[in-house]
Amino acid sequence: MEAVNWLLINGANAVLWLWGLVKSLLVGIFSALDTVLNPVLSPVLALLNPICTTIGDAVYAVLDLLPVWLGLTILSALMGIVMLVAFRYVSNQAAIGRAKDDIKANLLALKLYKDELRVTFQAQGRLLWAVLRLQRYILTPVLVMLVPMLLCLTQMGIRHQWRPLHPGEQTLIRMRLAQDAGNPIQVQLEPNAGVVTEVGAVPGGGELVWRIRGGEPGRHTLRFNTAGQVIEKELVVGTDFQRVSAARVGPNWTGQLFHPAERRLPGSGPVRSIEIVYPGVDSWIYGANWWVLYFFVISMGAALLLKPLFRVRF
Amino acid sequence: MSEGNDGITRRKFIRVAGASGVSSALYLYGGCRGVATRPGKGGRSAANGKKVIIIGIDGMDPRLCEKLMAAGELGNFARMRDAGGYHRLGSSIPPQSPVAWANFITGAGPGVHGIFDFIHRNPERQCAPYYAAAETIPALDGWEVGEHKIPLAFWPFNHQPAETVLRREGTPFWDYLDEAGIPAWFYDIPSNYPPSPSRYGHVCCLSGLGVPDLLGSYGTYQHFSEKTIVDRNEAGGLRKPLVFRNNVAKAKLIGPDNIYLQKPTATTVEFIIYRHPSEPTARIEFQDQTVVLKEGEWSDWCKVDFELQMPPFLPNESVSGICRFYLQEVHPDLTLYVTPINIDPSDPGGQKITEPANFITRLSDKLGLFYTTGFQEDHKALANRIFTDEEFRQQADYVLKERLNLLDYALEHYDDGVLFFYFSSTDLQAHMFWWDSDEKHPVRSADDAKKYANVISDLYKKMDNTVGNIARQYGDEATILVLSDHGFCNFRRQFNLNTWLRDNGYLNPPNAKSLLDPRRGRLVDWSRTKAYGMGLNGLYLNLAGREREGIVRSGERDALLNEIREKLLAVRDPADGRPVIVQVDRADQAYSGPNVFKAPDLIVGYHRGYRASWATTLGDLSKEVLSDNDSAWSADHCMATSQLPGVIFSNRAILRQNPSLVDLAPTILQEFGVEPPGTMTGGSLFTSAVTAGAG
Repeated sequence: MEAVNWLLINGANAVLWLWGLVKSLLVGIFSALDTVLNPVLSPVLALLNPICTTIGDAVYAVLDLLPVWLGLTILSALMGIVMLVAFRYVSNQAAIGRAKDDIKANLLALKLYKDELRVTFQAQGRLLWAVLRLQRYILTPVLVMLVPMLLCLTQMGIRHQWRPLHPGEQTLIRMRLAQDAGNPIQVQLEPNAGVVTEVGAVPGGGELVWRIRGGEPGRHTLRFNTAGQVIEKELVVGTDFQRVSAARVGPNWTGQLFHPAERRLPGSGPVRSIEIVYPGVDSWIYGANWWVLYFFVISMGAALLLKPLFRVRF
Repeated sequence: MSEGNDGITRRKFIRVAGASGVSSALYLYGGCRGVATRPGKGGRSAANGKKVIIIGIDGMDPRLCEKLMAAGELGNFARMRDAGGYHRLGSSIPPQSPVAWANFITGAGPGVHGIFDFIHRNPERQCAPYYAAAETIPALDGWEVGEHKIPLAFWPFNHQPAETVLRREGTPFWDYLDEAGIPAWFYDIPSNYPPSPSRYGHVCCLSGLGVPDLLGSYGTYQHFSEKTIVDRNEAGGLRKPLVFRNNVAKAKLIGPDNIYLQKPTATTVEFIIYRHPSEPTARIEFQDQTVVLKEGEWSDWCKVDFELQMPPFLPNESVSGICRFYLQEVHPDLTLYVTPINIDPSDPGGQKITEPANFITRLSDKLGLFYTTGFQEDHKALANRIFTDEEFRQQADYVLKERLNLLDYALEHYDDGVLFFYFSSTDLQAHMFWWDSDEKHPVRSADDAKKYANVISDLYKKMDNTVGNIARQYGDEATILVLSDHGFCNFRRQFNLNTWLRDNGYLNPPNAKSLLDPRRGRLVDWSRTKAYGMGLNGLYLNLAGREREGIVRSGERDALLNEIREKLLAVRDPADGRPVIVQVDRADQAYSGPNVFKAPDLIVGYHRGYRASWATTLGDLSKEVLSDNDSAWSADHCMATSQLPGVIFSNRAILRQNPSLVDLAPTILQEFGVEPPGTMTGGSLFTSAVTAGAG
């Protein structure tokens, strides 16, 4: 038993050490990639985000006439169809067809010649090759569709992930500061009908945090005065389904991607980001986190259902 | 704290060790089977629309009630009284809450249910004390791997995991209702932790008095302050120092012990406090949560996950608790109070505090987070001067607000059958605020004593309103019973029973300082000790053949008991000549039933104003037999049963003469046409008869 324990403990420690190493490597790689990609992607997103948000607003202006779950269902189904059509034109349908035919043929061979060892091995090899080919043919359209899909999903996210603050409801505003912002930094939140400040900014840990309550319903612009500079942040108070921008971020492409509704903050100022901790939308269909699952189920379902109609193979 | 499912079950083991689909499916199947369907909503129950609503108001005193009714301040109770629905209610011997509520639950005395005091002693370990109503049995065996010891509760190992068991015996009255298919709902029922199982699935129960916090105590606050120099563990709380650098301080919340370690140590969660350099505000950050508070503010409930470290090849376990932060002071010295870490009602893990187990999460889904410990009002924080009177009152008000929300839920989800709801506020606030005489209060000025005594009157008025609302809502549709387990009175002077025994030669040597704790000085010499005190009202003989080091022979027993009894009844307070003890019951005469052998030999009943001293309850002796009670805990009820009856109100005329707590269970059963069993000693309140004895 002692030996088993020793093996279990040291084996697990070795695995954990290796996993830690892999994690550090991955973090290093992504960090390096981010440094390279950010100067390119941040300005691109700064251009794309306002366009996408305008389109998103227009689409949801129509969907707002329906119950939220129905709107999400229709939108997901339509996006499934759009993806299906796009897939047809972006992918090599003939090659996909051939790979799928090969898969079928080799599966049949496995069934028919299960007593023939040589044929069985051959069929398995061919099957594997056909599956790999199929993956490769699918990868290209997936990569092509990834960017528009992400932009669409982030537009959906700013509507389904968070809900507006209810009047009287309490939350926090977090302002993350640049390392060279100076200590102490003075930031004043200007009075605004949309917000009741319960506790003024408490500094520490590289950020300032306010505790607020929702004021009058509406889409408000909060103004923060710091060192002669005015920084704005949108605040939404209300009880209905609306677009909510949880954070306004600096020139950082990942932040901009997930928070597309507001202009990016200037990179040279003392503020890196301003976040309002909005509550999540409470629904098992269209609410926080669940909407993504529901979207994939409906869009994939629609695509699979209409595959024969559009004569798409995947 | 250790709980029932602390061991690794086969299911769990398979799952954590890389479960297969089949094992996961089995696990889900097993989990779903545990969710019983409860009666009440949908479908007609065997109660056929009959309703009995019972409101338990702990410690509601008949004298104060009568005084307030006479002054016209309890209109709803007065209406019940005028219709014949009021009586003083005989309590238990002794009138302590766990004993009294167990009388209510079983319809029988302590001889049947086996709870004689808050504290019992184990004679096999001479006089080692333990909590009478529940006991945690540690894991007996386990897989020893590195620093860990993991119980594997499956074949071929079959290790016995740690388990908390209910020590209250006897059959609760709801078992008979359960069998008859009559739904019954209990909210905060005392003396029923862990909750007894419902065999037929007609009972829902949230345990009350007796439920511990995550540290396994009855409420351990944590207090962090720059004024505190070193860590201090005081009765009911932990004091920790805070050191700020650039207005930032780090501290640790203490959580439950990691019971998977061979030497269990407390788990901790680190938090950071950012103090505003000039404003009276601060920010607390922990586990991706942020709390921003002004001086004098309470936070909402916060969830805290304590990680139980496992061997490296198994994932760590976590236990979820909840707490509230109270920022007492920011400048010049930051002081932060943290409530006891309560079991998280939304994620209780292995802590079973409701029957069925998922009832607690159903409550939490509707009500959010709330206090789950049995003692919710933090009286220890006031007694240890962590709270001011006003701070304690605010905290207690919050508890009452939460409980009134729970009552709203209870009434909303109640169709028929039995609904029991318990309020602790009247008891725990009375312990701290009650004062009904012109004598000098132990810790308050005369004006403050009067001011805070009015808090209790106001509380009675709130209870009156609550009962009035229920009476208006249900009218004659329901039988309404409002009861208290005992009354209340000043606790002015404390009596050290062990010191008295020593001074009278029953406990030796004459310079003994403690029964158990060598740090206090000379321990008792058991070979020369005939009797000792343990608990709030218990006196035990050091009986040969029962106590490990017993010396009193059975032939001497009767004479010795009678001698001590006579002497105790003759004790007078040297300060003013008042009698100190008015009632001394012999267990063999006061009780009957299979558990009498656990009882103290004598039950000491103190006069109003007197109680067992703080030291004597756990076996410590003091210089003087009688001394002033100088604690903020200025009122009590652990005196003589005859001195502190409770109350019973009903919207129906009470015909029974001298009703007692043991009459409630038969009354409830008879309301539903269920014949009370022979073990119940009382009878229905609505028929004229006399209860033989409180028991």
